Amino acid sequence: MKRIGLFLGCNIPFNRPDVEYSLRFLLNALDVEIVEMEGAACCPAYGTMPSLGIFEWAVASAWNLSIAEEKGVDMITGCGSCYGVQNEANYYMKKHPDIKKKVDEVLAKVGRKYNGNVKVWNVTNFLYEQIGLDTLKQKAKYSLNGLKCGIQTGCHNLWPSRAFPANEDNVFAPKRMREICEALGGVAPHYSTITDCCGMGALRSNAPEKSLALFKKKLDTIKAELDPDVNVIGCSSCLMQFDAGQSLLIEQKKINYKIPALHIAQLVAIALGAEVEKATALATIPLNGVITKIKGGN
Amino acid sequence: MEEGGVNVIDLTQSDENFIKELMELGADELKECIQCGKCGATCPMALAGLEFFIKRIVHAATLGLRDILLEDSSVWGCQSCNRCVEVCPMDIKPYEVIQAVRRAAVRVESCPANTYEGLRNLYRFGHAVFPKGFEERRKKAGLPEKPPTALSFEEMRKKYQEILRNTILEEIAPFPLT
Repeated sequence: MKRIGLFLGCNIPFNRPDVEYSLRFLLNALDVEIVEMEGAACCPAYGTMPSLGIFEWAVASAWNLSIAEEKGVDMITGCGSCYGVQNEANYYMKKHPDIKKKVDEVLAKVGRKYNGNVKVWNVTNFLYEQIGLDTLKQKAKYSLNGLKCGIQTGCHNLWPSRAFPANEDNVFAPKRMREICEALGGVAPHYSTITDCCGMGALRSNAPEKSLALFKKKLDTIKAELDPDVNVIGCSSCLMQFDAGQSLLIEQKKINYKIPALHIAQLVAIALGAEVEKATALATIPLNGVITKIKGGN
Repeated sequence: MEEGGVNVIDLTQSDENFIKELMELGADELKECIQCGKCGATCPMALAGLEFFIKRIVHAATLGLRDILLEDSSVWGCQSCNRCVEVCPMDIKPYEVIQAVRRAAVRVESCPANTYEGLRNLYRFGHAVFPKGFEERRKKAGLPEKPPTALSFEEMRKKYQEILRNTILEEIAPFPLT
């Protein structure tokens, strides 16, 4: 049986725990043993320790990585930042032995060590490489019944590609999430701004109006080119922008349409038979039409 | 466009020591920049309309324009998306220039207040993002009130805090590390 450390981060357990429920459900349904990352902390977010120094970044990530290594597992995360930050920390520690040495010394002070053997997976790459589309298809209880999906991979899931253990063939034309949706019976066309940033993150914290205007540009393009039933999102921060951020745009009367949003973990969990109320508990844009389409056809 | 600020480059303000400081703080390939502008062409900050986006920040950094870089808060709006790192033909890792400017800024307390909020939450709870009301949200998703992270394991959290005290946070934090 496969085992994996479930790295939760911050936004998933505190803002969108319905994604945590979905991650837990889908790993169980796919016969992957969940190993709890007891005592794990923030990845740490780009605006915190990484903004203080490379050593500061590396040692804070090494804390989390050392917990997974002690338990003998790799980690999976549904958050783009957690994926990017920790993979980059791994990359820096391999590239800079002097920083790794300092990390080792500080970890030793609290009785921990990290040998550099942990890979950090995102949901898409884990499903694609570790489970496989055929298995996913076989285990699905519901077909997506032609559900039209607008794909948002998320910046941190793509770049910097040199730091990532797994990736798309072309990081500027991502296909893996599209293939997952299609394997489950949906359609997920390419669109012209598929790799554009959603504006969540530091931009949203420091220049909220510009962030939402950037997001609106992307959303308008998705609406005009695809008019999807749902946007399917690879990163929990993007999910918050596509769901709660979109609700803000509606409230401010800046858009006159609504496109529901699901994290890829939520969509897959629902297809595998998860309880919809729990899997979508925190969504602000109603998902009734999406669920009816998925469940109505079986 | 406003006069002055980031829109006027005064070469008499160039500070060679600041260039060295940035290089030591992670922008180690800064001097290899050829000002091609590819980073700016992919930058969400530029697309969002921030005037001082990656290409201009790297330019100012190569000139050692300390005051402009530390006084303007644009570096804190960077999404850390790393498109610039992916496309840079000279491999100067432009995002690392942003991070080096941030690192220089926190050493002279020149960063937005929300930077400290994230660091304080990280130190106290083990989570930089720690929004109120999470217990109720977790209940709705059928999960226990607290996740099995540093938040639930006090001994582990104390060890994590000890690690953080062994970094520069100990020197720059404007809040008690106890």
